[in-house]
Amino acid sequence: MVTKVLCVAEKPSIAKAVAGHLAGGGFTTRAVPGNQYVKNYLFHYNFPTWGPCDVTMTSVLGHLMSQDFEAAYRPWRSCDPSALFDARIETYVEEGKKGIAKNIETQARTSQFLYIWTDCDREGENIGSEIREVAKKAHARFVEPGKTVRARFSNTERTHIINAAGMPVPLDDRQASAVASRIELDLRIGASFTRNLTLTVQPMLQQRSAEEERRVISYGSCQFPTLGFVVERYFKVRNFVPETFWGIKVSHVKDGIKVGFNWGRGHLFDRMAVVVLFERCLAAKTAKVTKVQTKATSKWKPLPLTTVELQKCGSRFLRMDSQRVMQVAEKLYQNGWISYPRTETDQFDSGMDLRALVQKQTQGGAWNTFAQGLMNGGFSQPRNGRNNDKAHPPIHPVNFVNPTSLTSDEQRVYEFVVRRFLAACSRDAQGSKTDIAILYGVETFHTSGLTVLERNYLDVYPYDKWTSSQDLPTFREGEVFEPTEARIHEGQTTPPGYLTEPELIALMDANGIGTDATMAEHIAKIKERKYVETRARGRQSTEEDEYVDGGDTPSADRGRGRVRGRGRARGARNAAASTRGATTGVQEFIPTTLGVALVEGYENMGFEISLTKPFLRKEMELKMKAICAGQKTRAQVVAETVVQYRAVYMRTQQRLGVLQASVRKYVLGENPSS
Amino acid sequence: MANTEMQQTTAFLATYLSSRHVPPTSAWLQTLVPTLRLNIPMVALQKTALFRLLATDLMVSIDKSQVSTFPVGITDPGAREKRLRSFITVQILDIEDIGRSRWSQVDAIEAHERGETTKGREIIRVIPDENDVGTTLNSSADASHGPHKLLLQDARGTRVYGLELFSIPGIDTSTSIGAKLVLKDCVVARGIILLEPKNVEVLGGKIESWDKQWRNNQKSVLKEKAGIRENAA
Repeated sequence: MVTKVLCVAEKPSIAKAVAGHLAGGGFTTRAVPGNQYVKNYLFHYNFPTWGPCDVTMTSVLGHLMSQDFEAAYRPWRSCDPSALFDARIETYVEEGKKGIAKNIETQARTSQFLYIWTDCDREGENIGSEIREVAKKAHARFVEPGKTVRARFSNTERTHIINAAGMPVPLDDRQASAVASRIELDLRIGASFTRNLTLTVQPMLQQRSAEEERRVISYGSCQFPTLGFVVERYFKVRNFVPETFWGIKVSHVKDGIKVGFNWGRGHLFDRMAVVVLFERCLAAKTAKVTKVQTKATSKWKPLPLTTVELQKCGSRFLRMDSQRVMQVAEKLYQNGWISYPRTETDQFDSGMDLRALVQKQTQGGAWNTFAQGLMNGGFSQPRNGRNNDKAHPPIHPVNFVNPTSLTSDEQRVYEFVVRRFLAACSRDAQGSKTDIAILYGVETFHTSGLTVLERNYLDVYPYDKWTSSQDLPTFREGEVFEPTEARIHEGQTTPPGYLTEPELIALMDANGIGTDATMAEHIAKIKERKYVETRARGRQSTEEDEYVDGGDTPSADRGRGRVRGRGRARGARNAAASTRGATTGVQEFIPTTLGVALVEGYENMGFEISLTKPFLRKEMELKMKAICAGQKTRAQVVAETVVQYRAVYMRTQQRLGVLQASVRKYVLGENPSS
Repeated sequence: MANTEMQQTTAFLATYLSSRHVPPTSAWLQTLVPTLRLNIPMVALQKTALFRLLATDLMVSIDKSQVSTFPVGITDPGAREKRLRSFITVQILDIEDIGRSRWSQVDAIEAHERGETTKGREIIRVIPDENDVGTTLNSSADASHGPHKLLLQDARGTRVYGLELFSIPGIDTSTSIGAKLVLKDCVVARGIILLEPKNVEVLGGKIESWDKQWRNNQKSVLKEKAGIRENAA
């Protein structure tokens, strides 16, 4: 009897692509009863592990199982919401997916091996374990070691898939349990807090308009901290008070060129102090050149692309919100044009044949000449970032596709991914930077000039800007001159802008809110719930990247910028980097009155650990990691986390009046009676 | 016998404190000496005496006849440059970081009050260390960069502003109010003393009640200077 293998992918498009590669095109397609999207692909394949086999390749549609409380607890008013912390949860196959489950069960009955082809991430492991559960009903053998295996792959390019087919690995049960705990906790915490919140706030909103009658006011342990970031910035902007600062500017004309020197102190917030210092400069009459230094400088090429970077760049350069970018990238991945778009890795494995990938891009596109240049000796190994999720390589183009065969959004995302990849495989831009310092009285002033010598990666990566400044006249160290002009200038601090999507993603990323795969969903959720609204940022800000929480952003203050954010070695380079951000059209977030009311309401309850801050959620994410590392079990994590949130719930319960007061103040516009 | 010993000790301490530019009044010394345990080494006694003196108001504890004080007309804004020739001991009444906007300073204080600090974009919850209550605000992470503008007072009570021309180690917004400095050879420009490490010796010290009051009011003072209305939200 021929060995039969059942392969199951996460989505129909992957099943079809994998079947195509393994079968070499010759497969038979069968419909699946009860589901119009999922198909079975039948073909023969010689697996190195099992020899010649009959293969059925099919798929699920994401998660196969759903979870909900048992029937008695489902109606909203059936119980006190706190009962949901330990109500029994049922796991079941939703009506619409019964046909898919049935198909797997039927196919499994006659198969010896189950080969899981879900995406290689935590969610994929969990879906894999759901598929195994269903197969187990047909035959208990699938729980035995070696009978259920999974493929490790990160794109649907042909050789990659064929390699993966030859190297099955066991399903990672720890990752699957981490997801199971997250699902359970999100359900318990989300449902209890949401019911409580809705039952408290909804009746108040109904006073205002009947439309509000059925509106759910949801709580989510990611949603709320996300909203918290938006509201916090909103108040920073609203409460901002401009302050006057003063500085000294010196300029000197030499060889017919006017050179401006910037004050080493930037600016000070005390006029008298500046006047005194200025007067002492003037009293000195002459300035002395203390430093003339010309050195090679480079603008580093970008790091290999991660999901978070893709989302941030999408907002900034492609005018797409993070959710849209991910949808488009997902589509490009399913069609085999780019690698798996959910990855934290910003380093390419040294064994990867990057030149072969570059070669593919010489076929066409506006970048083909550049790619050819890389093939002709311009290639340079990409920089390594600091993150490696050990599951997926950085996002990169897998195959060349003629842009004209893509939709316009797909074209833009594909082009970005390709250009980013080619830039990463190119050389840093090279320049020469001259720094000149002068001592005028006891005060130091600086100027610098940049000459770009080789553009290198910049030629293919228009998203970065780096241009030569005006030429500087020649100064010698020790040279003494009388500056042509010195004057005091006055300026005002400007408020920070409302939070933009790239900033929000960076905050969520740094604070462990959601994973790179789910951040876009949380952002979409707070929009959908009408907690926040977005609008295109009106003025161009070149400094969104450099914005420092709690800092001022007067443009003269660049010298103080500190290195921030993960993998941002680039911050340390030079001030010219801050002028990237070539496009406007970045979305900014403004909370609605309801969003403000909720955050203020919970904040004012005065808990030690606020629900609108990232701390609780971050702890939960760390616990998920502990499950993956085998340090904790699902039961431990669920129990510990439920205890924490139940305590918060109970305290919330005692102080609902504070929340209601906040809703009255912001949403209903009532003045507090006090 | 004990009496002679006490007189000797008193004389030693007076000499020592004078050498540090804080000659005490005999009245202050007489209240100090009986509280000391005389059987401990002289060096330790000196340290104790200096520590106690630095915690007092200069105007009360220092012998004005033995120290220099600010010359008359020092605050004259019409004078472009004057020089203070002798050693002058002063105490700090106020410290202001003029390198940052008040708004950002208020913001930092409020974040601290919420028990948060930021590391890059990451918000970190600061868990107060039980052994470290009250000193968290003084941790180096919160140190201001300046330059700082100080309000200084001499033993006669004259108040003059000092501007930190170059950063002086030991001076930032966590420096205690009432801390003592010895100025030597400073330049005074338009009534403001220009402070540099080479002509400022930081003796340190703290006047507990002044410091406490200053810290309690710090936020509201900054807000007022910045023109931030309370309850702006």
